[in-house]
Amino acid sequence: MKSVVFEDVSFQYGNLDQPTLHHIDLVINEGEKVLITGKSGSGKSTLAHCINGLIPFTYKGEMNGRVLVNEKEPKGLSLFAMGTQVGSILQDQDCQFVGLSAGEDVAFALENDCVSAEEMHAAADRALKQVDMLQHKNQPPQSLSGGQKQKVAIAGILAMNVPILLFDEPLANLDPASGKKAMETILDIHGKTGKTIIVIEHRIEDVLEHGFDRVVVVDDGRIVFNGTPDLLLAEDILPRYGLRQPLYVEMLKLCGIKAKEEDRISILENTIKYKDQVLKRYMEDRFADQRPDNRTILKLQGVSFRYFKEDPYTIEDVSFDVKEGEMLAIVGNNGAGKSTLLKAISGIAKYQKGSIYYGDKNSENKNDDNSSSILGMNCINSWTAKQRALAIGFVMQNPNHMITKDMIYDEVAFGLRNFGVGKEETDARVKEALKICGLYEYRNWPVSSLSYGQKKRVTIASILSMGPKVIILDEPTAGQDYTSYREFMSYLDRIKDTGVGIILITHDMHLALEYADTGVVLSSGRVIAKDYIDRILADSWIIGKANLKHTSIERMGRLFGVEDLSAFIAYFTRRVTSTTDQSPDLTKLVKQSLSGEGEEVPHE
Amino acid sequence: MNGISGFFQSVVSREGIIAVVVAVVLSIVIALLNKKKGRHMSTKTVVAIGVGAALYAALSAISIPVGPNTSFRIAIALLPIFGAFFGPTAGFLIGFIGHALNDAFMYGNVWWSWVFLSAMMGLFGGFVCFDKKFDPLNGICTKVHIGLMYLWSIIGMFVGSVIAYLGDVYLYSEPTEKLFVQITLANISNLVVIAVIGIPAVILIAKSKAKNQGLKKDL
Amino acid sequence: MSKSGSLYIERESLFHGLDGSIKLLMLIAWTGFAFAFMDARVFLGMILVGLGILKLSKLPAKAIWPLFAFIFVFTLFNSIFLLLITPEYGSKLAGSYTGIVTLGFYSITLETIFYCITLSLKYIAIMPITILFIFTTHPSNFASSLNRIGVPYRVAYAVNIALRYIPDVKTEVDNIINAQEARGVAFRKGDAGLATRLKNYATVMVPLLLSSFNRIEVVSNAMDLRGFGKSKRRTWYHRKNYTGMDLAFAALSFAVLAAGVAIKIMVGSVYWYPFSL
Repeated sequence: MKSVVFEDVSFQYGNLDQPTLHHIDLVINEGEKVLITGKSGSGKSTLAHCINGLIPFTYKGEMNGRVLVNEKEPKGLSLFAMGTQVGSILQDQDCQFVGLSAGEDVAFALENDCVSAEEMHAAADRALKQVDMLQHKNQPPQSLSGGQKQKVAIAGILAMNVPILLFDEPLANLDPASGKKAMETILDIHGKTGKTIIVIEHRIEDVLEHGFDRVVVVDDGRIVFNGTPDLLLAEDILPRYGLRQPLYVEMLKLCGIKAKEEDRISILENTIKYKDQVLKRYMEDRFADQRPDNRTILKLQGVSFRYFKEDPYTIEDVSFDVKEGEMLAIVGNNGAGKSTLLKAISGIAKYQKGSIYYGDKNSENKNDDNSSSILGMNCINSWTAKQRALAIGFVMQNPNHMITKDMIYDEVAFGLRNFGVGKEETDARVKEALKICGLYEYRNWPVSSLSYGQKKRVTIASILSMGPKVIILDEPTAGQDYTSYREFMSYLDRIKDTGVGIILITHDMHLALEYADTGVVLSSGRVIAKDYIDRILADSWIIGKANLKHTSIERMGRLFGVEDLSAFIAYFTRRVTSTTDQSPDLTKLVKQSLSGEGEEVPHE
Repeated sequence: MNGISGFFQSVVSREGIIAVVVAVVLSIVIALLNKKKGRHMSTKTVVAIGVGAALYAALSAISIPVGPNTSFRIAIALLPIFGAFFGPTAGFLIGFIGHALNDAFMYGNVWWSWVFLSAMMGLFGGFVCFDKKFDPLNGICTKVHIGLMYLWSIIGMFVGSVIAYLGDVYLYSEPTEKLFVQITLANISNLVVIAVIGIPAVILIAKSKAKNQGLKKDL
Repeated sequence: MSKSGSLYIERESLFHGLDGSIKLLMLIAWTGFAFAFMDARVFLGMILVGLGILKLSKLPAKAIWPLFAFIFVFTLFNSIFLLLITPEYGSKLAGSYTGIVTLGFYSITLETIFYCITLSLKYIAIMPITILFIFTTHPSNFASSLNRIGVPYRVAYAVNIALRYIPDVKTEVDNIINAQEARGVAFRKGDAGLATRLKNYATVMVPLLLSSFNRIEVVSNAMDLRGFGKSKRRTWYHRKNYTGMDLAFAALSFAVLAAGVAIKIMVGSVYWYPFSL
């Protein structure tokens, strides 16, 4: 039986001028595991809405062609009838989880079906057991992690007993280790039930390592590839459409290896035959290690914080330095204390123990009390959040939480105006910040005309204009696809070159590895490693303890039996980054992304 | 001041009560008629009520005291906003549920007559939706709409005040003059919050949702 | 408040065992009964019974006393306000005039002070059952209880959604305010004047609303896809069948409510003043 059929389907949202999907032809068979991928705005979410019935029932628009789900046309049914065919798991776990406890949430669909309480409890228990969450049955969502909430969501769909499971960006809000577990759960379900699995995701490597039958690539509303993962990887499809290849595939290509479909490189172990070629390249070419030794600008010494006196410390004895022009990554899993640390540095959380020192050249003699300064830096323990804001800028994960003004210029000038900076100086600093972030030409545009990634740059410009010497970014690349991620990070590099110290707070090891100079690994509120990033990544003990995820380069190094794993990882990661980063023509990139649709789903 | 308080006292007379009851019944009928067209409440409205009430409770923690027994309560601004975006039924229930839940959780005691003041502000705040052209999420909010929002908010405050007043007089046995002073102070501060935060927020959102055309780069 | 934002405290007690809808009924009856009177004796009696009920519910005193402390402060301020504006109100009700403090036109009477005490007792008397409901009913039962006493399930479920998202929304409010504060926006007393601070809250309203609207859209999609609103009724995961005890308390509640209404209709609201001539 065919689970999903698209016959020459085009679709245009009621409030947009252009169609989002063009002439889609696609067949997904029962029991298949299919990955649908594409850039932001490519139309992949719209495709998902056509499958689960949100189109045509919730999002109105004009559709041509025919969609069949389990051999029935959605438009002849109702959204409720579609709910019995396709189980959808949305990317935001908190929005999917509507119940007040795990068990209640799993039973939500059964409640709507008027199933009796007894039957419901039995069914919910069964479903929770399938995803290994039965012991958390009575817990409220606030005490579950993102990964656990997602498992509950999956159980909720299993309880409905639908033949097709549709996952819309299941990895987007999870740290890599939880993402891996989520994928394992999904595949485990597939193994046990043989249901059709459709995953929409742009984190391709994290999906493909679990063995999918087929990949569909969508670009600009059209299907541009539809075939096996092996063919996909062999044919260089992904880079052509601005998508990221698995790291180890980038690495193979870097070594001049041309794989064919029958080489089956979608399974990492099959690359063993390229061992000699890879190692040869590695031995021949070495990077000059350039490690900056600038002056220290921010110093944490033994910082500890707990929310309540009777609780244990959420972060304990945290010490590290940030240097001028250095990019430091604070990595750790969800719950490791990253956001608490951020609050402590920015002054929102008053740490009970330890000190923070800040050394701006101009403020060396601010404190009269000499004992509170070391190495020419001032102790800032007594500074309020507002005072610290001028020294240490903080960029939130979601730009929509920061932006309050209509126009780009006003948004960037907002902080300076609040601090009473003169008009001329404000103007000069705003323009400078806009130039660094590549937004100068758009200064008189409304913020709402920008894409997500560009809005994020606006928030950085608005922090940069206030002249901090350290900028902290919380999950800087979250919610962005590969193209916009690369572009964004290249701007950060430019900021770094002006001498500003940058702290990235992230669980994304790829990101840390590619861009950061040094890393601090947090686990259960303690610093368990402080080193150059590649050395951290080569240390299995740290990776395991911090519940991080190995990158595929590391796995490949182990497969090949490389002795100095750290050097191997460092070499290839930086090589891969530097060759694919063909120092893009920045204005061209901005143009492209400005002309494209920012967000995929228009608000009604 | 005596004149107005005299008016309030006359409201407590039999004719006054009848007039008020008629006004309340009328407004509820209008609300129900509006509901009938859409058959039952949509899931989106249900969620809007829930999230709106959650916001109301969360923002209730923020208030700026301006004098004895009076403060600017930021949460009040939500009532005309959610009314305008999701309609009178949602506005009414957000005021009702939000206020009652917050009272119960924060104080262990619900001031029922004042719950109705919030509910009425939400209900009447939603009446601007009777103009089908009004669509702030697609950038449509004219000067007339802004005027209507103020008008309905003020009417809502008035009707709500009368209910709160009657409730406090008859159920809690509070003295009338004291209530008059209290309600007047509350209305003044609520009006300020609505005028400074509530309605401007609707206008700002409408502005940000307006289609951007003819944008040119400034080199 | 716990991490999930609810006040529920788990204990083994008679009242924890009652169905939420019965406790809701008790709350309505109790409040209605209090509304019928203006009699300090009745209120004192209600307070004693109420405290007894709270004792039986085995709730820790530590959790409850802040609420009582609050109501004491509230009634104190309310009384002061009352004395300032209507210092002779009690005399009108009681029909006697015993001045205590006289400052020109302004004089406080003994009757008014007694009236203030009666009113304060009334506020305190209403409280115990509300506390009982909040602390002994699991939040998951709120919505199903409302539905059980006749509230349409869509409205009842909105309450569930509110309880679900209060903690999430609170975090979001804090985050947004912190981010703006770090950009020099003044929210605290002393940082800027009243008008400026009020206007500053307007700046955080837009991002807060836009992200709430987004949440509303996604949550309602998620609920639609799982069949919310499919049929005229729905069942509830946390609902149990009524026990004999439930029915007994329901009957008691109805009786109390009926008594209150009957007294109000027959006697009217009678104010009790013991010292009149």
